[in-house]
Amino acid sequence: MRGLERRHWRWPAAGILIVGALLVPPLAGLGEQLNPDSSAKFPIFLGTSALVLSLWAISYNLMLGYAGIVSFAHAAYYGVGAYTVAILFQRYHVPVLAGLALAPVVAALVGFLSGLVALRAVRLYFSLLTLAISQLLYAIAFNWYSVTGGDNGIHGLELPDFLSDYSILYYFVGAAVGVCLVLMFSLVRSPFGAALLAIRENRERARSVGINVRAYELAVFTIAAAFAGVAGGLYALFEQQAYPEQLYWTANAQPVVIALLGGIGSFLGPALGAFIYTVLDNQLSKNFAYQFDILLGGIVLAVVLLAPGGFASVPDLIGQLRRRFSREAESAVAESSGHAIEASDPGRAARIKAIQADRLPADTREPLLVIEGLSRHFGGLRAVSGVNLTVHALDRHAIIGPNGAGKSTLFNLITGHLKPTAGRVRFGGRDITGKPPHMIAKAGIGRTFQITMIFPKLTVLQNLQYAMLAHRGRTVRPFGRADRMYRDEALDLLAAVGLGPYAELPAGLLSHGDQRAIELAISLALGSRLVLLDEPTAGMSAFETQKAMELVRRVAQEKNLTLLFCEHDMEVVFGTAQTVTVMNQGQVLTQGRPEEIRNDPEVKRVYLGELEETA
Amino acid sequence: MSGGQLLLFVVGGLSNAAYLFIVAAGLSLVFGALRVINMAHGSLYMIAAFVTGVVANQLGLTLGFWGGLVVAVIVTGLVGALIEVVVLRRVYGEEHLVQLLATYALTLVIAGVVRTVFGANYRTVKPPAAINFSVTLAGNSYAAYSFFMIGAAVVIGTGVYILMYRTTLGRNIRAAVSDPELLSASGVNVARLYTVVFVMGAALAALGGAIVAPSQAVNASMDTDVLVLAFAISVIGGLGSIIGSLVGALIVGEVLSFGVQNQYTNPYAIAFVFIIMVIVLTIRPWGLFGKAEQT
Repeated sequence: MRGLERRHWRWPAAGILIVGALLVPPLAGLGEQLNPDSSAKFPIFLGTSALVLSLWAISYNLMLGYAGIVSFAHAAYYGVGAYTVAILFQRYHVPVLAGLALAPVVAALVGFLSGLVALRAVRLYFSLLTLAISQLLYAIAFNWYSVTGGDNGIHGLELPDFLSDYSILYYFVGAAVGVCLVLMFSLVRSPFGAALLAIRENRERARSVGINVRAYELAVFTIAAAFAGVAGGLYALFEQQAYPEQLYWTANAQPVVIALLGGIGSFLGPALGAFIYTVLDNQLSKNFAYQFDILLGGIVLAVVLLAPGGFASVPDLIGQLRRRFSREAESAVAESSGHAIEASDPGRAARIKAIQADRLPADTREPLLVIEGLSRHFGGLRAVSGVNLTVHALDRHAIIGPNGAGKSTLFNLITGHLKPTAGRVRFGGRDITGKPPHMIAKAGIGRTFQITMIFPKLTVLQNLQYAMLAHRGRTVRPFGRADRMYRDEALDLLAAVGLGPYAELPAGLLSHGDQRAIELAISLALGSRLVLLDEPTAGMSAFETQKAMELVRRVAQEKNLTLLFCEHDMEVVFGTAQTVTVMNQGQVLTQGRPEEIRNDPEVKRVYLGELEETA
Repeated sequence: MSGGQLLLFVVGGLSNAAYLFIVAAGLSLVFGALRVINMAHGSLYMIAAFVTGVVANQLGLTLGFWGGLVVAVIVTGLVGALIEVVVLRRVYGEEHLVQLLATYALTLVIAGVVRTVFGANYRTVKPPAAINFSVTLAGNSYAAYSFFMIGAAVVIGTGVYILMYRTTLGRNIRAAVSDPELLSASGVNVARLYTVVFVMGAALAALGGAIVAPSQAVNASMDTDVLVLAFAISVIGGLGSIIGSLVGALIVGEVLSFGVQNQYTNPYAIAFVFIIMVIVLTIRPWGLFGKAEQT
């Protein structure tokens, strides 16, 4: 899995798997010659089955392992693929190979339509809906006798002559699976794949760097359905049948178990899982069918529970084991003491070309963000109430106020994470009120969050690279290598913020302070015209705070970024801001230049005095 | 459709709703307090149905069903406690992905165990002798057992309500939903409370399974059948809401009852349930009575 150290054994292991797969028919033939009682047909048949299963499971892993989606409908698309071939052949006398070509199209269509419905719901509800959709498709296959053959299914498909030899059929299926795997492999390494990983790691962060989460989820759901359709079509080819139980939701146990067996953290892992599964299935499922279910469940449970921290940490576990043998990485982690920012180089950060927000002349101080009568009520609580606020281009604008004044709510209203109850937000002349977060991010508003929001299992470098890819709209590309894009720019920025030594480490391993630095770097990397910083220096020491704010100020100045930040540290506020807005109880109390605010008696009474007394 | 027929379908729908409500209420109770969607809920229901069948057929017609019901609730409750301690405890607070896969694995294990222990054959369970008769209303004959199911759901639903809103245990459970840390700080053993909640959920699944046993054939695919419907109810009514379970169960129960009346719609009765689900989700993605979850 990307996000961990490079695995040097990956390519040799893949080579062994591929050579092993190629050798199945000759080895089976050899076995037949050595032992005349055995038939080469059976092992080759099992091999074909394992190939199809690996395609099915790897397509499932596109969702599970890469995008973090649990679907219980994958068996349905596999079944749709098989039925496409079978129905076209039996009712319309379409040759099976033509049917096979159509199988992914039909499966993708069904996947797209059902995904459109299921993805209206979020996470948990989504999984429940896929289960319902799966059972609905099963009900159709089971009951629509005139088309699907009902509970009997469809049997007796005829293959073209050249595929009648089972070795050739094996290689044919192998070639089809191989083509699909190459396509999927290129997909997961592409910028599109990077967007999926970002979504898996942190949906909110993904949104706020400009990723349309729903659209990407629908896309991967549809793509996975298409490949499941190919797998189902191939199944119909070599088994020469299709039957309703293929669609039943419990049939999803197969891709789930196979993906977990082989390891969802690696691309080809499920292929190994498919091989093991096929052997187990062949040995056990005839005589011990019920016990086989128990074994499958046991495998899933074991993987989910025994990996500390649960299933999602399996890749971590492997990474940790490897790290033990890598002194370099170990010492780097130990060094992540949370003070990276102390080593930052504001001048260098300000010279990085990739950060660019100068889309307007540097000297204009026109209104950039205009907020009018903005309100958000939670039940009876008026978190933000009738706020009017104008942020001028190139300004460094601070919002201060006691806890509960509505600062974070205001930020969330601006960035689309919350929908306003009333009021307007205009940015650069465009009305962005109520727009989704990814569109607002794309429009040029970047942000940090009060709680650290990064992509924990991706490397520090990837955190920046993928954010840059997403924000520049590159993640729609399903080809190319994401890890090679914006690499130099990202490394440059990392060095500038003092994170250089940790570039190749999973971001989640770094200490809290350094994760704050990543968060800051992401918000700067986007080159947004307006950057919202929600308590950027929370938890930093006085020296770190000074360095961090110097960095932010230098970058903002050089790159024409406009800053809007809220902060409790008055030294930061008065040292950085050019304009200060004071909020209290959801409303704007006053606004002015820092020295005006400092001397405003009303502000002193409400806020500053109170703070100084406690300080 | 005549008035008599209409009544027939309505009563049929109510008796569907009765057992579905009991099962879905258990699912909702567990989700509400533990934030875990238990995919093995239907498996617990199936265990109870099989246990009821075995015990009832041993004990005979007078006492059999009642004995089966009691034993089923006890056995299923114990299985529930085991599951909570061995599996669920480790996945609280984890991603949904982990929770779904862990409880999904349990459905596979339990399905295998049930088939190994009880076999995959259908079993029939006779209603208790005292309510094994039929009544005629408006020209149609009704099994008295249908009314028993409806009554049982009312009693159990009331019981759950009293437990949640009139007892200390219920108050603690509701407090655990909103702030487990505060509850823990005030001296309540939250870990044990969670076990109790899960066992209560399992007991509700068991009551549903035991009560449904005499009204349909007990078989090894009951787990899936009821799980799909319980999920549909939860999605319509809103996960974690007991009232939502009631409304969802009434909708699903009646839709199924009216859907199967016609030979053309019969095989697709379940499709209507899903269509309603989709409509509800389009308007309120968190269900009729659910609370919006942060995306």
